[in-house]
Amino acid sequence: MSPPFIGLTGVIALFVLLFARVPVWASLALVGFFGNVALSGWPAAFAIAGTTPFDVGSSYTLSVIPLFVLMGEVASETRLSSDLFAAARVILSGVRGGLAVATIAASACFGAVCGSSVATAATMTRIALPEMRKAGYDDGLATGSLAAGGSLGILIPPSIILVIYASIAEQSVPKLFAASLFPGLLLTALYILVATAVVRLWPDHAPGLIKTSVAEKFAALAGPWQFLLLFVVTIGGIYAGVFSPTEAAAIGAFGAILIGVLGRRIGWTELMKAVEGSVITSCLLFVIIIGANLFSFFMVQTHLPAMLADAARTANLPDLVVMALIIVAYVVMGCFLEGIGMVLITVPVFLPIVTGYGYDPMWFAIIVVIVVEVGLIHPPVGMNLFVIQAQAPETKITSIYRGILPFLIAPLILVVLLFVFPQLALWFPKILYG
Amino acid sequence: MTPDRAATEDGPILRLIERLQWAQVRIAALALAAMMLVTVADVFMRYVFNSPVRGSYEIVEATLVVFVFHGMAAGFFRRANIVIDLVDTFAGRRITALLIRFSDLLSIVALAVLAWAMTGPAWQAYDYGDRKLELDMPIYYLWIVALIGIAGTLVCALGVLFARAATPRERGH
Repeated sequence: MSPPFIGLTGVIALFVLLFARVPVWASLALVGFFGNVALSGWPAAFAIAGTTPFDVGSSYTLSVIPLFVLMGEVASETRLSSDLFAAARVILSGVRGGLAVATIAASACFGAVCGSSVATAATMTRIALPEMRKAGYDDGLATGSLAAGGSLGILIPPSIILVIYASIAEQSVPKLFAASLFPGLLLTALYILVATAVVRLWPDHAPGLIKTSVAEKFAALAGPWQFLLLFVVTIGGIYAGVFSPTEAAAIGAFGAILIGVLGRRIGWTELMKAVEGSVITSCLLFVIIIGANLFSFFMVQTHLPAMLADAARTANLPDLVVMALIIVAYVVMGCFLEGIGMVLITVPVFLPIVTGYGYDPMWFAIIVVIVVEVGLIHPPVGMNLFVIQAQAPETKITSIYRGILPFLIAPLILVVLLFVFPQLALWFPKILYG
Repeated sequence: MTPDRAATEDGPILRLIERLQWAQVRIAALALAAMMLVTVADVFMRYVFNSPVRGSYEIVEATLVVFVFHGMAAGFFRRANIVIDLVDTFAGRRITALLIRFSDLLSIVALAVLAWAMTGPAWQAYDYGDRKLELDMPIYYLWIVALIGIAGTLVCALGVLFARAATPRERGH
């Protein structure tokens, strides 16, 4: 059997195992291990399987994961989200649909610190949905803005998914964090535009208008100072070259705990819950990364990605068609696969093809994260939609589906913009790091 | 971070394993706290006193080993590993239960392969006497920590296979 054929068999076996409910990490690890056995024999496969877990589990670069997860878990316990929403609703008062816009803005800010789309969607639903309902907002608009806003956390830095992409694609974490900032802000602006357009087209979807004075708006700006402090210190520190990502994550986690304890927002029980959550979430990610590294090594040995790239070139497929096919593949896989698993499974296969066509791996990282975001919100299976319904069971899932549809335009526009102007992602890392 | 009430209502073996994973989560939590505090202290000392903590980089690497290999036990004990559960929507309860057992079994096979494979490089680290540069600590210490952690994880996974009902995800996280 030729290596590419073994590679193809491995990919098919991987999907069979995944759909048979075998955990993502075990599917990747087993296919990677037995694939390496088929290609290089037992001793070589055991050597790789023996060193990979330790290499991953002692990687300084990956220490950023548990520390940022801890920061997010603590931030979730400290009611930071309610401060953000309270400030945003006052600042945006007087704007028609202001509560929906405030929800998106607060979700983007909270998601940046929290890093988890699901946690952001769940937390913001509890805070913002009752307010929007009280103001007479349409359920579709309310839940659509919650789902869309909740998905922003994985694009706006610090993003765990980008750290994982960096480890698998051998990219710089600070550069990826720089590349994702402006697309993240742009996507926030696009979601806000969609919410505003929906309100303009159907004014009855957002009937209420809250009035506040200019002085109140300025006062509200000072409300979420803790968030600003955390974000500026951690991400600003990385951009300015003051801290490495691990240092920024440690300071962010420590800062979040300090803010919580000194402000009496978090007790011992909540702190322990946050730590336990961080341990479990982070270690689940680590075992997947271990499995993905084994699978990735196997894929490289098979030359399957290079063969696919050659096949695409031989067939004279234009780069745009190849990229469109890859994006469609991501959207389809987003129906079944969880985001991080999807990145770990696909990047070793797709990245050589993408770079073979001359695209920048940093730019591709941003595209991948945006498409993963779409997977979180597109009906009928987007995870954020179910999270919102779980928080508000009285809401019909069909209302949520109807509400999210207009918001799906925003990431598609962003993907098109990134194809036309790749510098949207690439200029900031270039300015910061040359 | 207390032992789960639901688990303490299980049989004696599962209760014992519950305690094991609880101890491992605590070890991982301590490692996480150490990782955070050492890094914060290093930054503080570097910028305020121009005197960084010696070996902080290696301490982070070492605490990460403790964190990862002990923290993973909880995920296995709670069947919290990420799965694609699409099949649950159309398969009956019995088929789902069978698939859960099957995936428990394959997880154990994968863990056992990794644990067994890790003993080779661990022996090599012992034989060669490699040490951390700044801490002057033998690297095989870390291999021992990793092997103990993965052995504990294996025990938790075996306990789940033999002593816990096959229902989709006992506890969330």
